[in-house]
This record gives sequence, C-alpha cells and structure tokens, in this order.
Amino acid sequence: MATQLAPESMYRNDEGMGIWEHRGKVAAVGVGHSPTARRWDGKAETSVGAWSILALRRAIEDAGVSPDQVDGLVIVPVTTTGAFWPEDTPVPMDIVNSFNRTGDPLDGIAQLSSEWLLNNMPELTNVNFTMYGAGCMSNALNVASQAIGDGLTHTCLVLKAWHNLEGRYYQSGANAHDAIPGTAALKSLWGAPACYGTALQFAEYCRKYGKTHDMMAPFMTNSRRNGLMFPEGYWAQHRPEELTAEDYEYARWIAKPANLFDNDIPIMMAGAYLFTTAERAQDMKQKPVYILNHASSNAMPRSLTPTLDEVEAETAKTGRKIYEGAGITAADLSFENMYDGFTEFHQFHIEGLGYRGIKFGEALDFYQTDISIEGPNPVSPSGGNIGSGRSRVWLHTDSIQQLQGRAGARQVTGVKPEIAVSGGPMPLGGNYTVWSATPD
Amino acid sequence: MILISFDIDGTLEVGDPPGVLTMDMVRMVVGDGFLIGSCSDRPMSAQRAIWEAHDIPYDFVIPKHMLADVKAKFEADRYFHVGDREDLDKKYALEAGFEFLWPDEAAAMPWFATKDSSDA
Repeated sequence: MATQLAPESMYRNDEGMGIWEHRGKVAAVGVGHSPTARRWDGKAETSVGAWSILALRRAIEDAGVSPDQVDGLVIVPVTTTGAFWPEDTPVPMDIVNSFNRTGDPLDGIAQLSSEWLLNNMPELTNVNFTMYGAGCMSNALNVASQAIGDGLTHTCLVLKAWHNLEGRYYQSGANAHDAIPGTAALKSLWGAPACYGTALQFAEYCRKYGKTHDMMAPFMTNSRRNGLMFPEGYWAQHRPEELTAEDYEYARWIAKPANLFDNDIPIMMAGAYLFTTAERAQDMKQKPVYILNHASSNAMPRSLTPTLDEVEAETAKTGRKIYEGAGITAADLSFENMYDGFTEFHQFHIEGLGYRGIKFGEALDFYQTDISIEGPNPVSPSGGNIGSGRSRVWLHTDSIQQLQGRAGARQVTGVKPEIAVSGGPMPLGGNYTVWSATPD
Repeated sequence: MILISFDIDGTLEVGDPPGVLTMDMVRMVVGDGFLIGSCSDRPMSAQRAIWEAHDIPYDFVIPKHMLADVKAKFEADRYFHVGDREDLDKKYALEAGFEFLWPDEAAAMPWFATKDSSDA
C-alpha cells in the first residue's frame, strides 16, 4: 500500500486538548545532515535522493543503532517550493537508472517517496510504518512524534530534503503556464513575489506599532552570525560572509518593505533525525531530547493574504496550544527557534509565544537588546534559514543539538538549555515541537 | 578614463556560478588606471572581502539598484557595467546611464587583450 499523508487526527490543532498524552515519552536522539549546495550539479551522488540517503544513514549512525532496528520512516515527499522540474527538460535517465527507481522518474531527482528510499536503503529491513508529512520538517516531526507515542513505530527516521535547480525560483512548474486553475492564479501567476503577503503584514505592523524596517537589522546580523557557526549550513560551508546592518539596510526591495535579505536563499540539502521511545533512547549513543508536545495551526485566512489581525490572533492561539500541551509557560523556555524564512514573520511567532514576556508590537524593540547566544535572551540560536539557507530544518537540528550540549560554537551560554520550541513555517499554517532535556 | 562595474555571480570567476572574467583580467585594467568596483546582490561587506582577498584595489562596492550613485561619485569618460542578467544587470545599468556588456562581450574588449611581452 502506498504511503499516505498523515491524517488530520495526528495533529494537535485545537486548544483545550490538555497535556499531550505522550508528553516526555518520545525522544529525538540521532541527527544526520547531507552537505549543502546552491543548485544541483547534475551528478547522481549529489542528487536530492543521494543526499537524503546520506542524511538518513548519518542519523542512524549518530544514534548508534543498527539499521535493522529502524521500523518507521516519516518523510516529506515534496523537495521544493519553487524549483519544479521544467516540463520541456528531459529527465536524466542515466541518473534515474543509477538508483533502484520507482515508477516515477522524478523520485530521487526532484521529489522523494518512501518507496524510493527503501528501494535504495536495503539495510532498512524492518520498516513497517511509513507516512508522509506535508511541506516541512516541522510537520513530519509532529507526525513522527505522534506515531511513536501511539505505538505505530518505535524507532523512526524523519527526513526533509530540498533540491534546487538552475533558473529562477518560483518561475517554473505551474507558474510557467499561461493559466492556473483556482485562486492560486491570483497569487502565483499574476501576483507579487512570494514574500509579498508577509511584507504587507509587516508594513501594517510597522504602521500600527511605530516601528521601522531598519529595526530588523540586529536580528539579521545575529541570525547570520549564528548561521556561520552552523557547520552543516550553506553559508558556513560555501560563503562565510557576515551580514552587517549596512548590508541589510542598503539591500534592494523585493516587495517593500521586504528586501533581498528578508528572503532566504534556496539551496540543496537533506536533514534527518532518529526518533524513538524514551525507554529505547536510554540505550542509544546520544543524549535523548524529549518531546513535551507538538502543536499545529490549521487556520485559513479569510482572503488571499492574512491580515495582521489574523496573524496575531493565530500566533497567540498557537502559543497557548504549545504551552497547554507541554504543561509549561513562556517562562520555561530556555530559547526559541521559530521559523524565519521570511524574516518578517519571526517576530509574529515570538510575540505569539510571549517569549521573554514580550507582547505584540514589542519584538523589534527586543531585537535591539542582547539576543545573542551568549546573552540571557537568545533569539533563533540556529540562525534559521537566514543563517544557513532555505531548509526549514536548522531550527530543529539546533534545538536538539543545544539540548544535547553539542551545538559547538553555537552553544548557548547565557542560559541553561533545558526547554526549547521550534517550528513554522507560516503564522497561519504551521507545526511546532517543544523539546526538553528531561522527560518531565 | 574608463570606469567598469563588475557583477560577481555569473560574471567573475569567483562568482557562483563562475563567470568568464578572471581576476587577472581585472588586475589588468586596474594596472591600466581604470576605475573599477563591483555592483552585486552580494552584501557590500562581502564584495569588499572578495577584492581584498584577491589583493585588488577597488574604487567602489555597491548594491545593484544603487549603480547610479557610482556615476554620480566618479568622473569618467565612459561607464560600463558587466553582468549576466537581463533584469538585474542590463536594466539597472541602462537606467543608471551605463553602457552594458555581457561577460563574454566584456572579455572580448581590447582592455583585456594580453599585452605582447615584446612591449616590456
């Protein structure tokens, strides 16, 4: 039977659900990353499929388990948001056939399937549970957490990978056609750049609270700084460039008030984790990081672009769900790793959390204080997509590594890493995980 | 006096993707007294770092959309911008009053012709 998308029942979308029934009984142990690249160079060994296999094997090795102990696989089958295989470009069959292929030649090239991965990882002999998360690693983590808690799998690999091709992002696939059915045409075909909706919300945010775009600069420089200490990341590996306030403030607008650096750079990469039960985690190689809760937002905007009011209502609701299910308060957070790719909704996320007591309209002032990993209020210690490229994975890897005490140069020192939250992407429509160094 | 603004990615050999213009070619025009610099979507601090890493003296670094500031600041007889994008190089160059060259066109310019060693 083909792998299915996770059903809605696996997500914790609602308030009032109480403490998560599996709180502290699921743990992340292993982390595995592929290298990164700006774009695919057309070789089999650097394809999104090959790098996915590499990341999965590294997660298994990192956890110190044997492949035959793995019985679950949760992946995101989609590997891009804007680099679709051009319809007029032949699929390179020599590359396709260098793997154990499936019926879809794009598997392993510009998308993934659990079937393709299992075909090409013969060492995974005991996987009897597979499921897809939609869109992001954040989603797949929720699915894996719930699946382990529910007893559907006990040792589960979780994967998110990205390919990137030559050409401009968001210009291919359906966007290259003359027509797109449905309301997508209004945004994707005839609309503004992808960051437009967020820029519009940010413009209203600045008007409402009397803030300016330049006030984002400390967040941007801090994020890039943290990213340059993330050896798995794109900027650290390929272009170890700082981003100064001057660089940020003089960048050209993409959709004013969102500039070039408010948009994350599309890259190729694969990231994987090994999740298991709290009991099994005790015998594995790395320190377990326990899941206290997962929560989701499935809110739909009333129109094409959510208003600031809708954004603030939903992030506040998400914050309440996160804390309720984990049995914690904002004061328990050691740090936050909420999503940032577009940069201008990071403040929406952390205001919704009430991180360090901030309220709506206060995040940009908060950014003017010490938000470094050395200070008492770390903001995005992963550096996020701004710090390491478009993956939506760094925030989770960093949370795990910080709580395991192996974040290297990026390790937070101003706080004791005990409880963290990560997730995204959008303020309306996201998935979140609460991580803890201890099960209770 | 000639001023040349170089895009980086897709234009210079150090770009991503690499372009056809080598840093030695840039050194050649610097040696001939041209005003040179970069105009790129890379951060200005990163542009400076590239020139300094290659020990090439530069006169300016600027974001793409601010090329006109270079013309306002430097007196020259001709202003060229070399780049690989219709929308981000040619468009901004022409709007700023620069002459525009694709990288392969620039590489064929006489400025970059290897000097005969017998001239030395």
